[in-house]
Amino acid sequence: MTADLNRGKEPMTAGFRGKAPTPVDVTREVPTPTRELPVTGLPSGRVLPPPIGSAVERIDAAEKVSGEAVYAGDVRLPRMLHGAVLRSPHASARVVRIDTSRAERLPGVHAVITGADTARIRWGAFRPDLYPLAIGRVRYVGDEVAAVAATDAETARRAAELISVEYEVLPAVLGLDEALAEGAPLVHDDAPGNVAHEFAFDRGGADEWFARSDVIVEGVWQSARQWHGSIETIGCTAEWSRDRVTLWVNTQTPFLARQRYATALGLPTRSVRVIQTEVGGGFGGKSGDDNTSVICAILARRAGRPVQLLNTREEEFLASRPRTPMRCRVRLGFTSDGLVTAKDLDLIADNGAYTGKSQAVLGAATVRHDALFAYRAVRARSRLVYTNLVPTGAFRGFGNPSADWAVGQAWDLAAARLGIEMPDLLLLNAVEEGGVSLHNHRIGSCELKQCIRKAATAIGWYEKRSNPTPHRGFAMGVSVHVSGRRSFGDYDGSSAIVRLTEDGRAVVITGEGEIGTGARTTLAQIAAAELGLAVADVTVTRPDTDLTTHALGALASRVTYVAGNAVKRAAAQACERLLAAASRQLGRPASELRVEDGLVHAPPALGEDVPVRLPVGVVVRAELYRPNGEPVVGLGSFDNPSEFPDGVRYGNESGAYNFAAEAAEVEVDPATGAVTVLELAAVVDCGTVLNPPLAEGQVEGAIAQGIGMALTERFDWAGGAPTRPNFVDYKLPTSQIMPRLHVEFADSYEPTGPFGAKGVGEIALDPVASIVASAVADAVGVRVHELPITAEKIFWGIRSATDRRDGDRR
Amino acid sequence: MMVRLRFRLNHEDVEIHVRDPASTLLDVLRDDLGLTGTKSGCAIGYCGACTVIVDGEAVPACLRMVGLLEGREVRTIEDLGGPEGLDPVQAAFVKCAGLQCGFCTPGHVMALRALLDEEPEPDDERIRRTVDGNYCRCTGYVKILDAAREAVALQKAVAVRNSRAGAATSPEGRRR
Repeated sequence: MTADLNRGKEPMTAGFRGKAPTPVDVTREVPTPTRELPVTGLPSGRVLPPPIGSAVERIDAAEKVSGEAVYAGDVRLPRMLHGAVLRSPHASARVVRIDTSRAERLPGVHAVITGADTARIRWGAFRPDLYPLAIGRVRYVGDEVAAVAATDAETARRAAELISVEYEVLPAVLGLDEALAEGAPLVHDDAPGNVAHEFAFDRGGADEWFARSDVIVEGVWQSARQWHGSIETIGCTAEWSRDRVTLWVNTQTPFLARQRYATALGLPTRSVRVIQTEVGGGFGGKSGDDNTSVICAILARRAGRPVQLLNTREEEFLASRPRTPMRCRVRLGFTSDGLVTAKDLDLIADNGAYTGKSQAVLGAATVRHDALFAYRAVRARSRLVYTNLVPTGAFRGFGNPSADWAVGQAWDLAAARLGIEMPDLLLLNAVEEGGVSLHNHRIGSCELKQCIRKAATAIGWYEKRSNPTPHRGFAMGVSVHVSGRRSFGDYDGSSAIVRLTEDGRAVVITGEGEIGTGARTTLAQIAAAELGLAVADVTVTRPDTDLTTHALGALASRVTYVAGNAVKRAAAQACERLLAAASRQLGRPASELRVEDGLVHAPPALGEDVPVRLPVGVVVRAELYRPNGEPVVGLGSFDNPSEFPDGVRYGNESGAYNFAAEAAEVEVDPATGAVTVLELAAVVDCGTVLNPPLAEGQVEGAIAQGIGMALTERFDWAGGAPTRPNFVDYKLPTSQIMPRLHVEFADSYEPTGPFGAKGVGEIALDPVASIVASAVADAVGVRVHELPITAEKIFWGIRSATDRRDGDRR
Repeated sequence: MMVRLRFRLNHEDVEIHVRDPASTLLDVLRDDLGLTGTKSGCAIGYCGACTVIVDGEAVPACLRMVGLLEGREVRTIEDLGGPEGLDPVQAAFVKCAGLQCGFCTPGHVMALRALLDEEPEPDDERIRRTVDGNYCRCTGYVKILDAAREAVALQKAVAVRNSRAGAATSPEGRRR
């Protein structure tokens, strides 16, 4: 790394990722800048500094393969008790009486709590409607009623079963239609019509553009609850010290969780400290909208001892916050030559019994995909509806997989009606760099067209489509995602401190954390690149709300982009200060100095012929060990250059958008309706790929979850709950059902991103359900309108088509 | 009344006293013996996160009653690797980025360890079938399969190195 920190401002070129430039097959004009963007990239024509773009091993790999990593359930504190929760067996009921006396008498029990032992405060990220333990009412099967702390988990569970609760069962609304029916029972008395949140807009005059359209397609598509299915369930360990509680939680968002937990506990924020344990899978499900940590804290307070509370797998299915199901009526208009004109969306989302993040999910689902195409007009009406079902919330994709499935189906219908091959239709309408959506998404780097072309090539679209195989079908879809989204107040920033140590290492202090994506590794790479150190010499802290910088955490595909910029700036400042110190120590101008491989390099002094090499640690120590010595520390901060969307979701959500095009080939067994996804090609524009295997892993894992959403993940329901809430019924994809994958990245560079990078965590999930459905329709002519796409639905679809044909013949 | 049980755990004799011999091996490992490397994912023997090796066979620890382990040989993730380096299966997962959150990793590693102990050069179908027995929610399995194949190669390289060195010890040697 050179000492010259004045980075050039030339535009970036393709083929900039440290390998031979790939010819970009997209002819695009020089973009017109829509605003002044901060430039953090390197001067044009320079390769990215190592280890950016290389397959650096994860900094946490060894501790994870050896079983040493400490997850939520691995925390062990002296005198620690174990908790268990008693949950409602009813979808809607009044709690008449609770008798805890038998539970309290069980040997080994140290605390039994009910709603009466809580602060009786309703909490929630957007619409506070959830009590830590039921106050008078339960609203879904799984609602928390009482809890126990005992010497071991088994005793705690037995004690919870000894709590006797008298319920007066009330009528429940177990679906969207029931909830919206005239005179339906109310889930919450303060939500008339069971509507928790709604908004509507018409941007551009939809009716006028539909009137000018040659082709209009329309349909209704419904998605289902999808559970995160993290192999590690939600868990917490709580310990009080006087009036302050420390929570060791497997949360994705320690700082946001602290705020909410403090509210729920009736405490000032300063009374709660959250420390992130290793997180065994997040995907949105561990972003602090459920009661587990709150109950754990109350139990620990009552018991006067540390308590650990872990969801069982059944509880994870009954009472975590799965993907928000959505029913979307979509209408699209096109000109006869395939230009999209207008879109009309009527979206009803199933909130479940409490709100959590579904309110924000609704917003993202309504507007995000409009950033993909040059719509002339978009109208939407979106409603979030309470039901007496398990509350829903954030899940990777944040509304987009559900909306993209519905809108993608409409686009697929349109391609067929227009007689245009899908890749061609998408290319005709796809957004480009400099585009501005009707909701003011301001698109910076954008290689969507490159993604479409590469995905078509990878799947062999045109060859295979012109030589069709019976019962096989093809489909393509596209999606857009944010790199951080302004939604928790008017801030989507991050800050970091880089401390250079006397032993020649760097410690990156950040509160963003690690949920498995490898974020700490890529942040270490960014710091290493900026500092001229080896990744092995960079440590990245885990979030601790007392010790690290404030951070919003792992959500909205934000850490690489937002935190990456903060870490890069902090490292740059630390490097600058290091070189200033070395300059004083060596009596040489800082401009002559650079750091490489952990050494400060200077050209030979006058009259000497040996270049100077000074270990970083030596410089740091000398800077400290002198009168009025100082540590070498850099501070960096970055706020996403985005806008806080208003009440009708107008505003540029993010400073950078990532894109994907995916194409699938499926085969359907006409005898059973069973679907096999044979091949899936995904091409992602995430700007610079900082670490190829980690980025590929994000894409591969997202596709697997998309296939689960499309095909396998479902429950049988009875009385408002899954009949067997475990993996026996709810099938996560296994390795055998994964298709052959082609994962590629577009040549792309985001000028506002760290070394050109954008987010990549969610994007690849978004189009999967839609392309699987479209490919099935292409294969056997059956278009499924409700997820998941089971063999049964296809079988009956084929059967009724056959019956219709036979009827015609008769 | 406590019940005394003796078995081999990671090549050491252990004696434990449990209140309930129907307790699962998983709970005993994690809560009584402090070996938290074995993870609990579903507690019904479905996800594979708690896979350990009992008498050479990969089994879910959540379904094994500890009372039936008397005199048996149990190996957990804590048995692999050590001061001399990672086990070839572990090394392969690191090298191939075959993990993300890491929670299912000990189970995958133990399942593959059992496979390679039984069949040092398994064909791809056996590798696939073994990986298919364990859930992973993060990776989409692509890099786990890469890691499994790499583990075979790494183990072979270790075996060759050991035989060249003329060591009396097989790859299993250090585990006695």
